[in-house]
Amino acid sequence: MSLLQQRVNQAHASGNYQPVIDLIPYAGVIGVQCERFGEEMIFRLPRNPNNIGNPTIPAIHGGVIASFMELTAAFELTLQLKQPALAKNIDFSVDYMQAGLDRDTFAMCTIERQGRRVANCSIIAWQERKSQPIASARGHFLLDSFASLT
Amino acid sequence: MSEQILERCRRFIGALAHMRKLQLQVIKADEKSVTVVLPVQDQLVSTAFDTYMHGGVLTTLVDTASSLSTIPALKEYELCPTLDLRIDHMSTPVISQPLYAHAECYRVTRNVLFTRATVYQESPGKPVAYAISTFMRPGAGNTNAAFKAMIDGVDRESASQLSLEQIEAGRV
Repeated sequence: MSLLQQRVNQAHASGNYQPVIDLIPYAGVIGVQCERFGEEMIFRLPRNPNNIGNPTIPAIHGGVIASFMELTAAFELTLQLKQPALAKNIDFSVDYMQAGLDRDTFAMCTIERQGRRVANCSIIAWQERKSQPIASARGHFLLDSFASLT
Repeated sequence: MSEQILERCRRFIGALAHMRKLQLQVIKADEKSVTVVLPVQDQLVSTAFDTYMHGGVLTTLVDTASSLSTIPALKEYELCPTLDLRIDHMSTPVISQPLYAHAECYRVTRNVLFTRATVYQESPGKPVAYAISTFMRPGAGNTNAAFKAMIDGVDRESASQLSLEQIEAGRV
């Protein structure tokens, strides 16, 4: 069994998803967390002074928000797949709607379509309420990247 | 002139906490484009993967490089928020080499700036990713005066007066 498969199984059993998130170092650098509610996963990016990209508001770095959303999609796919593989990003497009203030940010990914090799995802990120997103994104992910895992 | 642009870009990067965390550096900046580098660093190296780097950090690198390319495109500093950003990943970067991003702002309009960026490791001819983005101009006087003065390298007092004058000029 692959390391990824092990970690995913353990995470589903224990409800602690951190070992899966730790597989991608940058997720740890910005501080991504994950919680499961029934079948749904909500990702959280806790307030972190190191994530600031606009000191005048202050607001979270736009790239950090985009990365957080990209990681949300990658983890969502990894955790929902029957045979977990770490999804690899093909393309990603993000629209910013509001400045991400210096507070907790949340994100959720919807898998619009999942084929054998490619999945199509849409992601929203919000701070106060889900109905007022700070950014929305879409992207394609390659699912057959077993090779890069030990 | 290029020297001044480089200084402005470096001051911008230096002001952002997340860029300091990633040790991002501006290596080249002129009237047309900006090149930044993300050095090889332990905090981005996974024990689970041997040689490949995950995309996430690349998005931050591209967003920053694109945002930086708006600095030489504008005569005076304006803090332009990103409207949209699109990245195409051509190949997977390796962790053993630094990651470079070359960005240029190819069109400036009254309200919007258009940029494109290439990410590479070995050479610009072998891109890891391409990105295009758009930035919104905040309008004269809407950039925090102290921050603007710091980026442009003018002293705080004269800079705040300058922007006040601009606002007034805009109203007239």
